[in-house]
Amino acid sequence: MKSFEYAAPRSLKEAVALLSDTWGRTEVLAGGTDLVTSLKQGITQPNRVVSLRNLRELKGIRPKRGGISIGATTTLADFVSDGEIKKNFPSLLTAAQDIGSPQILHTGTVGGDLCQRPRCWYFRNGYGLLGREGDTSLVREGDNRYHAIFGNEGPALFVNPSSLAPALIALGAEFTLTGPGGKTRTLPAGEFFRTPKSETERETALKPNEILTEIFLPNKGLKNATYEVRHRHGLDWPYVSASVAFTMKAGTVSDARVVLGHVAPVPWAAARAGGALNNAELNDTLAAKCGDAAAEGARPLGGNAYKDQMVKVAVKRAVLAAAAA
Amino acid sequence: MENAAKRLGVAADSLEASGGVIRQADNPSTKMSWKDACASLGPSPITKRGVNVPGESAKAGLISQGVGGAQIAEVSVDVETGVVTLNEMVAVQDCGLIINLKTAESQVYGALIMGITYALYEEAVYDARTGRMLNADMEFYRLAGIKDVGRLQVHMMTGKGYDDRGVIGLGEPPVISPGGAIANAVANAVGVRVPNLPLTPDRVLAALSQKGGMA
Repeated sequence: MKSFEYAAPRSLKEAVALLSDTWGRTEVLAGGTDLVTSLKQGITQPNRVVSLRNLRELKGIRPKRGGISIGATTTLADFVSDGEIKKNFPSLLTAAQDIGSPQILHTGTVGGDLCQRPRCWYFRNGYGLLGREGDTSLVREGDNRYHAIFGNEGPALFVNPSSLAPALIALGAEFTLTGPGGKTRTLPAGEFFRTPKSETERETALKPNEILTEIFLPNKGLKNATYEVRHRHGLDWPYVSASVAFTMKAGTVSDARVVLGHVAPVPWAAARAGGALNNAELNDTLAAKCGDAAAEGARPLGGNAYKDQMVKVAVKRAVLAAAAA
Repeated sequence: MENAAKRLGVAADSLEASGGVIRQADNPSTKMSWKDACASLGPSPITKRGVNVPGESAKAGLISQGVGGAQIAEVSVDVETGVVTLNEMVAVQDCGLIINLKTAESQVYGALIMGITYALYEEAVYDARTGRMLNADMEFYRLAGIKDVGRLQVHMMTGKGYDDRGVIGLGEPPVISPGGAIANAVANAVGVRVPNLPLTPDRVLAALSQKGGMA
């Protein structure tokens, strides 16, 4: 591991000022469950690590007009024990709890879950974010069982690893990013995630000298749920996850959003699936139809065609769970 | 015996061990407890070395070869996702004369967990082009965790017909059967064989679709 300078600033302004405007020179440290791994794997070799540990204003969940404000360094354990999350957002509760390891829940943060780097095994083994060797895509030619079935037309074939992002997008969350001089900008959660087209681009809208500081979660009284398909029953990455949110009046659905995790380089909004639910009466048949619609247009790479079936099931089960909640 | 004889002030060959005491065979009132005799040894162990002449010890009934065992697995299969859940496993195992029951049982529990791991999870993935092992980590080189192993039951065979076969071995035998037991249980549950280990969800789904649908 390359030696680096460690900074633990006392203010957000100071923290942002310590970040370089070039990717890779500096890294932001929250819980460290991903960053420390990445440092050990040598996939990032920063000159400086900027810790957010002393920035109290980034920690905790507070009421905010029309919803709640979640500080980016709120731990996942604090997140799952929050009364408001437990009461109104079963979708997020499932997504966070299913991370499964008490150690990661107590150390990892909400912002860290959203900003973590992909788990693509070619990336983690040193072949770059796109997993290439020369002109060859090792992912396309090699073992792509855990890779993207959607949004994989370009060179990026990894899947977004965030557990919370699909649920946050389905629920209409907004992310606030803080840049130089403490200047902030706010984005809908879905626009935070990007599909890089080259090795020099990243997977989010963050600039190298910006920090994700706040997640605003509106409470619109939506029915919501998440379903994950995982191999192991304890700590494991999902093969596929589905988060749904919708309004239900007298058994009829409107404003439905279906967002998939672990199927594309970004959390994947399955617009057709949402459309399949709207203005219809919710029952088992409709839930299955919604699942089928979610899998439409999938382009498996060779080793991951099984994900189609898992998408159908995850969406169907999430829809039924949301309706029953 | 020599040690006890010294303490009792008698000849070693006049002593016998019986009912928890060491005593003089023809004068049972000259005795000391087994515990005291052992304590008198202090920290130095008793060592006895011998040679196992092939064939001879078996003839003398000291050891025998070959062990028997049976294992049964009960699983649930989610036929929509292909995920296999291990509910319960029972192992019945023979290994001749068991010297220490607890560690013998523990060995079989370990074998079951190792077996569940290779039957359902464990797989080294190599990239064909670079030769690189892609999952040299604990994330994607999956091992069964506490939530994956279900309820395990081990029964060691003891008594007549087992104890008198002498000391055998117990390292590998119980780790051979779990693959077969679990694969049989999955085939029994879904009505089609999943021909390769580990029984990963994609393989279970592929077998189901070849069969033409769900169980």
